Amino acid sequence: MTAFYLYPLWLRLWHWLNALIFVTLLVTGVSMHFTLNWLIPFDVAVPIHNTAGVLLTGSWLLFVIGNLWGGNGKHYLINLRTLPKDLIAQTRYYLHGIFVGAPHPFHVSAEHKLNALQTLSYVGVMYGLMPVLILSGWAFLFSTSLPETLFGIGTVWIIAIVHLVVAWMLALFLIVHSYIITTGETPTTNLKAMVTGWHKEQSSG
Amino acid sequence: MLVSPLSDPRSGFSCLAYGQCGTALRRLLLLALLALTASAFALSTAASYGAAAQTAKKSGLLKEDSRDCMRCHWMETMAYRDRETGKIVNLSIDRDAYRHSVHHELACSDCHDRGYSHYPHRTSSADEALQCVECHEEREDDGAPNLVGLHHEYEKSVHVTEEVEDFSCFSCHNPHTFHPVSAGESIAQVVAETNGTCLDCHTELLTPVPKGHEWLPRPQAHWGSVRCLDCHTPLEGRITERPSHNVLAAEDSNQLCVECHSKGSALLSQLYNYRTEQARDEKGFFAQAIYNDAYIVGMTRNPWMDWIGLGVILLMILGVAAHGYARYRFHREQETSK
Ligand code: HEM
Repeated sequence: MTAFYLYPLWLRLWHWLNALIFVTLLVTGVSMHFTLNWLIPFDVAVPIHNTAGVLLTGSWLLFVIGNLWGGNGKHYLINLRTLPKDLIAQTRYYLHGIFVGAPHPFHVSAEHKLNALQTLSYVGVMYGLMPVLILSGWAFLFSTSLPETLFGIGTVWIIAIVHLVVAWMLALFLIVHSYIITTGETPTTNLKAMVTGWHKEQSSG
Repeated sequence: MLVSPLSDPRSGFSCLAYGQCGTALRRLLLLALLALTASAFALSTAASYGAAAQTAKKSGLLKEDSRDCMRCHWMETMAYRDRETGKIVNLSIDRDAYRHSVHHELACSDCHDRGYSHYPHRTSSADEALQCVECHEEREDDGAPNLVGLHHEYEKSVHVTEEVEDFSCFSCHNPHTFHPVSAGESIAQVVAETNGTCLDCHTELLTPVPKGHEWLPRPQAHWGSVRCLDCHTPLEGRITERPSHNVLAAEDSNQLCVECHSKGSALLSQLYNYRTEQARDEKGFFAQAIYNDAYIVGMTRNPWMDWIGLGVILLMILGVAAHGYARYRFHREQETSK
């Protein structure tokens, strides 16, 4: 059996706080967008969504700072040389190998806890989509101070579309993410790791 | 500063009009001066009237007797200070605005038909008791829209039930400038114009957190994009063509966010339907569907984007579920083969 301590306490706290804020934003956002008054009444959803948005900004900054200082940042470095090969191997495993009992193409270690697909999607989400989501959210908050039109189109309209599209993509990420974490050695290997910090496997590779 | 010398009998100019001035020499000088000004004035008015005639041939201001009125009333500074209230009363007629107003075909005397043959006038419009509803009824054959239904709404409004002093049609509508929303106007322009009318009197609301609107998030943003009337008139019996004149009291007005922030919003449909139809004619259906004037949370003004989003999410859930099921089946097979 192997065991690596891969998720330090601050990272675990950040992750679950972040997940909580994100789910709150998603539920309030959906109920505002589709006016699902049975889910959360509009006038309740608005202040919650705004507050959670501000909190998410703080949470995101925490993540960036933590990765700069805490050493966790090394897992987010993409190895461009091996990326295509790793990605193909990982994708083949999810689409085929996993159903025929093929060995996992990636081995978790203290140096590399995230496989190529994970690294790519986490980098895309945390340094691509999240900043756009947060910035467009703040732009919404201060839309009255922005110019009326941008490129001849209403500014609020542009902000709304950006915010909406990115939110859709992050909702999609959440679905895939929640499922992919069950593809460890056992369905709960990764979940336990994110709770206890320890990544434990029976086989040693 | 806005007071016109013509209308104030105490001023020097009026002394000229009354002919009570001193020596013959002074009178001669003044006459010469007057002749000069008059000819310059005639030239300039003739020029601008000519230009005006080209754009609107039927303008009522060009009719013979109106020309006499406009000799004075075209001036922007035409005004006087009311002695009782101390307020400045503007007597100037904006020719451009009049030309674009619904009443542009009418000559001055069509409405102001008594007591204006002398100068200074022996009457003021305040004494005339001008009646929009009656006048429109009388002239229905000439195309004046019937205002009776609108008057019934108005009679139920707070402006009447609260017995606001001196309130009349003219408190909100200037018959010299009144015109319907034109196709080129953006929502923001329409909103600014209509709300300006309310805020002209309700100046107490011109604060960052306006009284009675504390519950409304970001009031200024709201006021820039919806009309006061959209919330302050009854939901029932709305028509697309015009807002109701039954202005509701604060406690009876709409305070439910979702009346606006929902698909097919009842409150905003009037404002937006009207605009969308016009814009569609102008820009074409697809341009309008994509580049809407404003985005309103909850109104989902771009349905196809929602369908794509929901579709992709649904497909992903199905895909993930199928993947999970296949994994489970494989796992079971392995278990049994062991
Ligand atoms: C409630 C839903 C969520 C669950 C159950 C969940 C679960 C997990 C688990 C078990 C891991 C560790 C396994 C792995 O490394 O893949 C993980 C990692 C991660 N999750 Fe989530 N997550 C959720 C929501 C989110 C959200 C909303 C985000 C971001 C918007 C997010 C971002 C991340 C990131 C960046 C990592 C890698 C952290 C690191 O090791 O540096 N998660 N998640």
